[in-house]
Amino acid sequence: MNYRAAIWLSILIGFFLAEAFPQTSRDASVDNKLIITDSLSRTISIPSKLERIISLQPELTRIIVSLGGGDKLVGLDAFLRRYDALFKMYYPKVSRLPLVSMTGADVNIEMVLELRPDVIFASPFEFHIPDSLQNKIRKPVVALASMGRFKSLIQEIELVGGLIGQRERASELIQYFKQKIEFVRNSVASIPQDERPKVYLSFWASLTKTPVFYEPVNAAGGVNIAEGLLPSFLGTTETVIHLEEIIQRNPDFILVQGNFLPEERMVTVEQVLQDARLGSVKAVKDRKVFYTFGFWSWWDPAEVLLETLYLASLLYPEKFGQINLEKEGNEIFKKFYGMENGFSLLSGILKCNEWNKN
Amino acid sequence: MSVRVEKLEFEYEDFSLRIENLQFESSRITSIVGPNGSGKTTFLKCIGGLLPIKKKSIFIDGQDISEMKGNKRARLIGYVPQEHGSLFNFSARDFVLMGRAPYHSPFSLPSDKDIQIAEEALEFVGLAAQSEKPYFYFSSGERRLVLIARSLAQRTDLLLLDEPTTFLDPKHEIEIMELVKKLAEEKKKTILITLHSLELALQYSDDMVFMKTGRVFAFGKPEEILTESLLKNIYDIEMKIVGYDGKKFILRSLSAKKN
Amino acid sequence: MSGIRTKKIGLLSTLILILPIFVLVLSLTIGSYPISPKNLLKTLASGIVSVFKHSPPSIYHDIVFRIRFPRLLLALAVGASLSVSGASLQAFFRNPLVNEYILGISSGSAFGAALSLVFLGKGFPVQLAAFFFAVIAVLAVFLIAGSSDAPIVSLLLTGVIVSAFFSALLALVEYFANPYALQALFFWLMGSLSLATWREISLSLPLMVLGIGVLILLRWRMNVLSMSSDEARALGIDVRRENMLVIVATALTTASATAVAGIISWVGLIVPHMVRMMVGVDNRRVIPLSAAFGASFLMLADDITRGLTSFEIPIGIFTNIIGIPLFIFLLKKSAKVWL
Repeated sequence: MNYRAAIWLSILIGFFLAEAFPQTSRDASVDNKLIITDSLSRTISIPSKLERIISLQPELTRIIVSLGGGDKLVGLDAFLRRYDALFKMYYPKVSRLPLVSMTGADVNIEMVLELRPDVIFASPFEFHIPDSLQNKIRKPVVALASMGRFKSLIQEIELVGGLIGQRERASELIQYFKQKIEFVRNSVASIPQDERPKVYLSFWASLTKTPVFYEPVNAAGGVNIAEGLLPSFLGTTETVIHLEEIIQRNPDFILVQGNFLPEERMVTVEQVLQDARLGSVKAVKDRKVFYTFGFWSWWDPAEVLLETLYLASLLYPEKFGQINLEKEGNEIFKKFYGMENGFSLLSGILKCNEWNKN
Repeated sequence: MSVRVEKLEFEYEDFSLRIENLQFESSRITSIVGPNGSGKTTFLKCIGGLLPIKKKSIFIDGQDISEMKGNKRARLIGYVPQEHGSLFNFSARDFVLMGRAPYHSPFSLPSDKDIQIAEEALEFVGLAAQSEKPYFYFSSGERRLVLIARSLAQRTDLLLLDEPTTFLDPKHEIEIMELVKKLAEEKKKTILITLHSLELALQYSDDMVFMKTGRVFAFGKPEEILTESLLKNIYDIEMKIVGYDGKKFILRSLSAKKN
Repeated sequence: MSGIRTKKIGLLSTLILILPIFVLVLSLTIGSYPISPKNLLKTLASGIVSVFKHSPPSIYHDIVFRIRFPRLLLALAVGASLSVSGASLQAFFRNPLVNEYILGISSGSAFGAALSLVFLGKGFPVQLAAFFFAVIAVLAVFLIAGSSDAPIVSLLLTGVIVSAFFSALLALVEYFANPYALQALFFWLMGSLSLATWREISLSLPLMVLGIGVLILLRWRMNVLSMSSDEARALGIDVRRENMLVIVATALTTASATAVAGIISWVGLIVPHMVRMMVGVDNRRVIPLSAAFGASFLMLADDITRGLTSFEIPIGIFTNIIGIPLFIFLLKKSAKVWL
């Protein structure tokens, strides 16, 4: 083998080695790095102070904004810009931020590199993205989602608060959140399990698609009839249930996902009430079929807090009937996003005033 | 029945066929011979309806066949291809039964009479005992027999056979030709057959057509038209016609040096 | 020897033909809501009576007649449609790897469903759009290939191209879809019989029955069409017209099945082969028996998805899980060469 070939070969080998083993920086200085485990059970080391954040997870984006970290966002995905009319109102910068991803499944790598982020928050539902993105850009990618659990949501708020230097604000919000949830939970604590109303949730544009776990219902003192149908680990929070199964479990309430524009809703309350196959179900007979906010794969922390109150007043009208939901909603939105009449605005878009008219 | 080729013209990319004024009659075997690429198969396919022809080219009993509907034509003309290659391994009887298709609309099923006709056809070619046997399990000679049986089931007066003896061993070659002769004599069919083997053509034809480059060079009874100069013209090599045992045979000169 | 085989085939054929009825009755007993056979019979009886005289509503009645019956009927019709179409196209294309979606029907209908769900919303019936674009896909194949008597390879290749084209368009629509519509689309694409209400199947069921009927009537002709074009022409067949007939019939049948049930793979490919392994290649048997066997097969797969778990597993998984072992079993039992 001659010299030239040897040189080329070593360059080639060096190149492959560099590509095959991505550097994961394990710096000695522990003070400015944090090791965390994300929702996909990946262990990542991220800087303990973030200045430039790209968020592809709307839930995290909303949390960052509510904690006052909006100026640290340098890039987003398209979801909030396209589908959340309220978001632009309390975070007008969203229209000017570069869109790094349209659907969440695609990521414009070059744009990401140009933006030089310290960290990228991704959605765990696109499982292939976090690792491949991390390998390509050599920056930490953290996949987080609350998956219908308050505890996870609170942890996210806490984590983000620490990372953007807003620990106090985070504590404040968490306190506020917990307070309201505990209020509801305690009010229904005394009711035995078998006397709690059974609830069926129809989410994700399909009558038979339902989440196997949705904490607002539990907190509000209801029982999700689909709970336990599937072990609720990552990616299987939703399931498709048999129609006969719904009939058999005979829910007292049916709740349809409503955080869409009325004309976009595929499953409507009227449809459910008129469906002859469900005629024998208690919820249909009593006409206890309502809209609720629901979630995609991510929450709006303010909205879900309100939802819990709303569900409580729906399931236990005698106990919670005195709550003025609009007033509460506006207060919550003001607390989180600094917006006046935030809930009234949202309610106008989703036509929430029609929700209780059955 | 009489078949008259008035003026047949057909063109491929670099080949053209032009045949005029030929007539074929019942109970006669006419063989079409010539070198490769002379247009024998094209000619046969034109008559058989496999290739599109112009009006007033070919007449059967005075009727222009280009004006006939497909199934009417198929009740008059049967085409036996050299080989059949397909995915499905039908039984001989089901295979032959397909010859009854011209008598049915797309939606109708064969009747008991059709099945009987198919069985008779198989019997004529000597395969009645093996009517259940799948087509591809037969030897290649027997497959030709099944193909002929299918055309027999079509009950046509005109039969076109495309090189039915190619790739067969001498014994089976004779068997097929004897069957063809039987078809002409017993069933009074008009038979047009393309052959590679001049020898078989000589032995079995009532008439012969010599073709080259898409034209007919000679047509008539073998004893009248067969000459060594015609053969040299058609095949571009020296050939000798010799007599033996009262029959005529054709020998090739293997090299220019030998004599 | 051959006489015995013929008798065996005859018996087998009769069994397969009546199989759907047994499977249907059996399937009525399966479902999440427990209904004992006794109650089932009572409900069926009262159901017949209620046609003439109005009877009070009961849960059993709702479940049997509004949920199970329409769904099973749909399974029967879809299973039969996909199998008959697959069998016909396999004969027509002389290719054992062909399935009923080969002419772009699955991609076309998926695109139609996507277009409808994303841009037309819930006001527009998805099934109609799915059906419409499935037919457009087949027309595109005809136009591009030139005509219906184009060489088989041309038609196949064009089918592949048209499929790819609509798949690309589908991906594009998904890109711009709002998440809600996207969810509804994914549900449709999954392939499920759970959307079977009487209203939904009222349009597609007659179309499927019509298509299946036409193909069954053409069954002997398909033997002839499975010969080469030359031979078919020599037998006096108007190849162009009859090819068109077969393709249109299979397209309509498959499109109407797919419009309601989504894309259920494997059925149209494998059922005809299993039938051929049992009764031979004569399409006079293969076509109607594919319908009967396919109907039973899909009903059974649906039984498993309804009875095994409380939640819905896409039916395509079970057509695979029971289809493949069944295929291997029949392969071992029959002569290795069944075509």
